[in-house]
Amino acid sequence: MNALVTAAAHAKAPHIDYAGLSPFIALTAGAILTLLIGLARGRWVRHATPLLAIVTLGAAIGLGIWQFGEATSLVSGALLADDLTWTLLFAFAGAGIGATLLAWRSHAAQEASPGEFFSLLLFSVLGMAILVAATNLVTLFLGFELLSIPLYVLCATELRRERSLESGLKYLIVGSVGSATLVYGLALIYGATGSTDYAGIDKAIASGAGVGGDVLLLSGVGLTLVGLAFKASVAPFHQWTPDVYEGAPTPVTAFMAVATKAAALGVLLRLFDSALIGSQHDWAPMLAALAAITIVVGNVGALGQTSLKRMLAYSGVAQAGYLLAGVIVGSQLGAKATVFYLVVYLAMNLAAFAVVVARERANPADGDDLAGFAGLGRTQPSLAWPLTIAMLALAGIPATAGFIGKVFLIDALVDGDYAWLAIVLVIGSMISLGYYLRVVATMWMREAPTATTTGVPVIAGGSQEADAAARPQPEVLLVAWLAAAATIVLGIVPQPLFDLAADAGRALTGIF
Amino acid sequence: MSTTTWAWLVLLFPLLGTLVNGLGYKQLGRGGAGAIGTASIGLAFVCALGALFSLQGHSAEHRELTSSLWDYAVTNGDVDAKLSILVDPLSVYMMLVVTGISTLIHLYSVSYMRGDRGYARYFAYLNFFVFSMLVLVLGGNFLMLIVGWAFVGAASYLLISYWYRRGTATQAGIKAFVINVVGDVGLVLGTFFVLRHSGTLDFLGTFRAVHGGAFAGHHGALVAGCLLILVGAFAKSAQIPLHTWLPDAMEGPTPVSSLIHAATMVTAGVYLIARLHPLFEAAPAAADTAAVIGCVTLLIAGTIALTQTDIKRVIAYSTMSQIGYMIMAVGAGGYVAGLFHLMTHAFFKALLFMAAGSIIGAMAGAQSLDKMSGFRRSMPFTFGCFVVGGLALSGVPPFSGFFSKDEILAFVGHRGGWFVALYVVGYIGAFLTAVYTWRMIFRAFWGEPCAEARELEGGHLAHAEVPTNPANGEQEDTDVGFPGPEHTIAEWALPMKVAMSLLAVGATVAGLVQIPNVDHVITNFLEPTFADSKYVHDEAGNGMVYFGMALGTVLALAGIALAHRIWVAQPGSAAAWRARFKPAYTLFVNKWFFDEAIDLLVVRPFAAFGTFSRRTFERVVVEGTLVDGTTSVVRAGSSAVRAIQTGFLRYYAALLLLGGAGVLLYFLISAS
Repeated sequence: MNALVTAAAHAKAPHIDYAGLSPFIALTAGAILTLLIGLARGRWVRHATPLLAIVTLGAAIGLGIWQFGEATSLVSGALLADDLTWTLLFAFAGAGIGATLLAWRSHAAQEASPGEFFSLLLFSVLGMAILVAATNLVTLFLGFELLSIPLYVLCATELRRERSLESGLKYLIVGSVGSATLVYGLALIYGATGSTDYAGIDKAIASGAGVGGDVLLLSGVGLTLVGLAFKASVAPFHQWTPDVYEGAPTPVTAFMAVATKAAALGVLLRLFDSALIGSQHDWAPMLAALAAITIVVGNVGALGQTSLKRMLAYSGVAQAGYLLAGVIVGSQLGAKATVFYLVVYLAMNLAAFAVVVARERANPADGDDLAGFAGLGRTQPSLAWPLTIAMLALAGIPATAGFIGKVFLIDALVDGDYAWLAIVLVIGSMISLGYYLRVVATMWMREAPTATTTGVPVIAGGSQEADAAARPQPEVLLVAWLAAAATIVLGIVPQPLFDLAADAGRALTGIF
Repeated sequence: MSTTTWAWLVLLFPLLGTLVNGLGYKQLGRGGAGAIGTASIGLAFVCALGALFSLQGHSAEHRELTSSLWDYAVTNGDVDAKLSILVDPLSVYMMLVVTGISTLIHLYSVSYMRGDRGYARYFAYLNFFVFSMLVLVLGGNFLMLIVGWAFVGAASYLLISYWYRRGTATQAGIKAFVINVVGDVGLVLGTFFVLRHSGTLDFLGTFRAVHGGAFAGHHGALVAGCLLILVGAFAKSAQIPLHTWLPDAMEGPTPVSSLIHAATMVTAGVYLIARLHPLFEAAPAAADTAAVIGCVTLLIAGTIALTQTDIKRVIAYSTMSQIGYMIMAVGAGGYVAGLFHLMTHAFFKALLFMAAGSIIGAMAGAQSLDKMSGFRRSMPFTFGCFVVGGLALSGVPPFSGFFSKDEILAFVGHRGGWFVALYVVGYIGAFLTAVYTWRMIFRAFWGEPCAEARELEGGHLAHAEVPTNPANGEQEDTDVGFPGPEHTIAEWALPMKVAMSLLAVGATVAGLVQIPNVDHVITNFLEPTFADSKYVHDEAGNGMVYFGMALGTVLALAGIALAHRIWVAQPGSAAAWRARFKPAYTLFVNKWFFDEAIDLLVVRPFAAFGTFSRRTFERVVVEGTLVDGTTSVVRAGSSAVRAIQTGFLRYYAALLLLGGAGVLLYFLISAS
């Protein structure tokens, strides 16, 4: 008895750094609260839950800003709260806010009950944050699953639409294969290095005990790479992307397209450029080959698409290839370029998806059909401009942030002796003009179809007044314009974002 | 307010004017656009004066002020691209000249362009030009210089092609733009050569690097850089062989010719060499090239001006010739002399163009000297202005051109050695200047009044029944204006009169600020900028100065006398002269065949090469293989990508595993 008391007195309670954890806590609390409020009855819930989600994400950003500049190890080395984590958290939360605004009045949120919808969204953001903050293989997998499972559900939230259900199911099954591959890879890495901790893995590889070229380790790296590449929709693991993007409710697609990609790239950056940097000469050529394949497949695949969502899916594949470039070179310059381009990519895609959301609301049948965008420049310039800016930025036209981002990536590639990949990137950009400019040309240079878009004759209940009333909702326009404005502003004044990206890059202390 | 704040304001007002006129052209109406355009430049001039007084408040060693508004891209040791300006005596001097002359020309345009449909568009362009020019002269680093350089090229293009329904005007605009882009490319490449070893884009930093020996062991790079920069200067300043765009640029409205193609933009090359004098002094080969090209240009342009019949083209060739003097001066190291001539030339050349515009108004748009005569009585004010400008241009004392041209030639002569050849050519050019200037005056104002002049004496302005393009006789499209169906002459428009009177005063007295052995206002003012020059204390001896002054006076008067003899005392004798010097005349009237030579040496070979490549390379390789091949490959790839996109989950999972197997295989192979 006495011994027990003394033991209890000696046993130290684990130190918990609440300050460092605060953004994670805020996200968790917000997600649970949203879920609970969603149970209440009444119409106000429809607006209270997204509002709460935005407040939560805003709080997470605020707490992240508060913690910015410190690198603290949390939960006995499971998480590392440094500038890279926070910068990417800002991106996830930004994408989350954008997706919340887009989903505010969507079918998906109403059908699935708003509480659940927005709560799942918040959990997914939490998973992303944990994923990129993880400095332990177990935490990594935890974050990976916390990110994925809510997304499987979110994809299927338009319960009455077959495509949505199909997309959710597809994502779940293919995603499970990806997760299985990942966890197998992580196990092999653990087996080879005897540590689940990034620092321990790094030490084991650097120790020169022959671990670096070990078959076991490299098999593990390969499988891990496949699992993460799947999430980042890197070819040839991108197959699910177009189907899922097209089927899922568009706000969810927007969220997946930007946030998931940012999370996958973030964890690639963290894992490969810190824990596995010692065997860079082994994995970098493979990753470069994958990047090249991705750029080609994404751009070529996008060319013939008629659905804007599918086109954006392929374009997202191609952009993932560009983003990989910064990981491959394993340098500060590369990390900076990747983080910079991630944020830019977020703005460009949010603008584009917001316009698609607005078009789908007006024309539920085939709102993302490219032919429906003809003459948009004349009929709805408030939608045509953001989409034009987004397309030009994605294509990398100067004076947009997309241009600066690509310049930094190319700079990093050339600096890291991967000039050939830079050439592939440029050729990919050239091909990409073929489909980005097609959208712009359709909007500005084609005449709008004269028939009313509803397809219902006036006498049969369609009315021009009703059509005219189908104006884009203000919150959707807000997202479109804010994202488009950010694309332009960051293209002219890139310095602040570049400083932020540099801070994030410096958090990876193992590379120079 | 600090000096740099004044300078930023100088930039701000024209920019505001551009934006207001450019965006609000529908709301402004006629009066509004002109008033805003003129007022914004006037305010810029006031601010330039503010900068001047503020700068003079600093001690002489601290008159080089920089201010940066925004760092565009600054990395350690690689690039320092900033939005920065450099305010020193040179930039303030240029700022004053540009804003001062521009204000008067805007004022003139208010009346002159009144009949034009694109009134607001015109002032938006003109304000944009002034803004660009100010960016050029105020820019504190190469980047700003290049931006300003390209902007003035664009503004020049817009204004030359202003009457865009005239085929000749659009062609002239394209020609000017293409040649200016050649210059831009030269300037940018030259900048790279300099940046590579200096490590900074900043002017003052570059000069420090040059003085600090950054180019020791890289002299070749410096010379190459300076020569490439000279290409830019030559293109912009219409120096041989990149001069052919300037005469064609006379297709633009006459005030534009006055402002851009006489007083300001074309002198940018002079400014550039003066601004970068530490580089050129470290690379004497490049500086000598500039001096020689300037000298060649002044002679060739002078001879061509003798034979042209279009009144604006005569003045255009005269401009080339005078800029030749300036380039020769700054190339030889006489920066102050060159810049002094830049200022006086701005006064009298702008005045001559304005007076020419007035005559063209009286001629209902016709520009040929063959048709003009006897305007002396009907247009006394224009005549007076033309005579003042002509006297100043020919270098008759005490008009401004006399002092500035003399200072250039005295400096060049003082350099000695082979510069003596330039000195001699300079005086030959001075004689030619007097002849062609007064040929123009005698032909337009003396003799029997032509029909238009008689009509004007009767108090009525001539009107063309069918307005035609003076260049090719095509009927004009009056919907978009052309010089307007309603012409204006200075006698009848107060704003034009005010602008021309002020310039006439300037053309008369501007030379008095810098009289040898009497006063040295400009030398003293510009001293801080050129303090590091090795020629700063070079001054021609008294003997040379007085000899030059006497020689200049004699040559100018002789030239006027010769012109008088040919075109007034013995009318018709010109034909006899033409017959006697037939080969020379053919050469001159065809502009030394430069257009033809460029056509033969550059355009045709390229066109032939292009045709040949199109027939062979493009059809077979590009279209057959690359385009068709690429598109079919891409198309096939696209359908292949879509083909494996079956929508069947099992294929996706299989492909995922297949890909995974591939990746794993790579790692296994690389591990063993």
